[in-house]
Amino acid sequence: MREVVVVGAGLAGVRAGESLRAQGFSGRLTVVSDERELPYDRPPLTKQVVSGTMTESDIRLAGAEDFGARWIRGTAAVGLDRERRRVRLADGAELPYDGVVLAPGAKARAWSGAVPPAGVLTVRGLDDVRRLRVAVDGGAREVVIVGAGFVGVELASSLSGLGVRVTLVEPFGRPLRALGAAVSGVVAKAAGRAGVVVRLGTGVRGFRDSGGRVAAVELVDGSVLPAALVVVAIGMVPATGWLAGSGLALPAGRIHCDERLFARTAGGAGAPDPGVVVAGDAAWCDAVRAADGPVALEHWSNAAAQGELAARNLLAGPAAAEPYDHVPSFWTAAFGLRIKSVGLPGTGDRTVVEAGDPAVGAVLVAHYREGRLVGAVSVNQGRLLSAYARRLQEERMVGRGNKTVGT
Amino acid sequence: MKITVDDGLCDGLGQCALVAPEVFALDDDERLVVAPEPARELAGKVAAAARACPVRAISVEES
Repeated sequence: MREVVVVGAGLAGVRAGESLRAQGFSGRLTVVSDERELPYDRPPLTKQVVSGTMTESDIRLAGAEDFGARWIRGTAAVGLDRERRRVRLADGAELPYDGVVLAPGAKARAWSGAVPPAGVLTVRGLDDVRRLRVAVDGGAREVVIVGAGFVGVELASSLSGLGVRVTLVEPFGRPLRALGAAVSGVVAKAAGRAGVVVRLGTGVRGFRDSGGRVAAVELVDGSVLPAALVVVAIGMVPATGWLAGSGLALPAGRIHCDERLFARTAGGAGAPDPGVVVAGDAAWCDAVRAADGPVALEHWSNAAAQGELAARNLLAGPAAAEPYDHVPSFWTAAFGLRIKSVGLPGTGDRTVVEAGDPAVGAVLVAHYREGRLVGAVSVNQGRLLSAYARRLQEERMVGRGNKTVGT
Repeated sequence: MKITVDDGLCDGLGQCALVAPEVFALDDDERLVVAPEPARELAGKVAAAARACPVRAISVEES
């Protein structure tokens, strides 16, 4: 392999580049990103960077400059021609490849209805956080956040810490609802204690505009929330529109890859392409599965581990490639709570509080599906999680053992 | 093998404890505790734990 192109300069793309060199790849390595920024780490954006306890230079991804890549920044990839093995760029250039790592990440999901021209933001990248800080530093003291997932809850915490009046609106009834009712309850209570007004179970009807700026948010129940600034935090969409003509399988816009992270092709048996590997938020990997099929993971640890393995497997080739074997995990912090998880808590059918007490804001919730452990979530009980990670690993080895016997 | 953790960087995120629980653990306050003399055969796991650290607080010297 002489030419490798990595599409995406987030964590997954950077780890892939590092991993290629660590495996001894000495050919030409090109990293393409539609962002102009030097590679940076995303988790601190909504926490420390908004709060002002970390600067932009603190979150640069260490090591990104060290692996001898040609960087193409600020130019999007617009097409993948697998027949001719070329990545097409927005400026018309074509990058030939022997192998390509697809790590394009995701974009913030935009509000589907009309929004005023100014004052409504989404937050996904460093540029978004800059805009948010400019608005807040410029005097926006009343902020409505729509969506109480990770981004919404973290921003509510950071902004309230800056003295901003925050209202957090969650139409589906619970903050961080994938983590289970007990954890949602702890989060909602802590948010309230921090002075955040939490509006659960009410959708947003629309936005009021005053001279081209947002002035208020109208809820479905008829209430009107005055707002100098609105953050729409309703999830992410994989940045894969450019792959539409590639012939790759793109279920729900994610790049479907096999257990060894090779991209599956559309139609038929979905034979993997040995020249294309996938990593990070845009991946939909056969090795990350719940009882009823693969699950998308949008977490730091997954992007890091997939980036590393995807590169290794690309060089090794499908016959020598290793399956992706990773216990999912993530962390978040808000309102003084340290929330961590292992496994796939959102895929369970039953939750059990196995340690701590939601009433005191420290709890360990195990998630089961048909009696089998599928995940665990901790609030301020992090020391207990590694035992759950080990149990999940053991369950998987049993599962894999059975499969081997069957074939 | 000598493991050094930069306390200024470590935020007790505990990713290392998931990868190499024989060596890394969190205490009741979610602060990191490192086993004093990890067995040589754990070197691979320790290296993986260092790579799994989101703030790159862990460095390992082979001896």
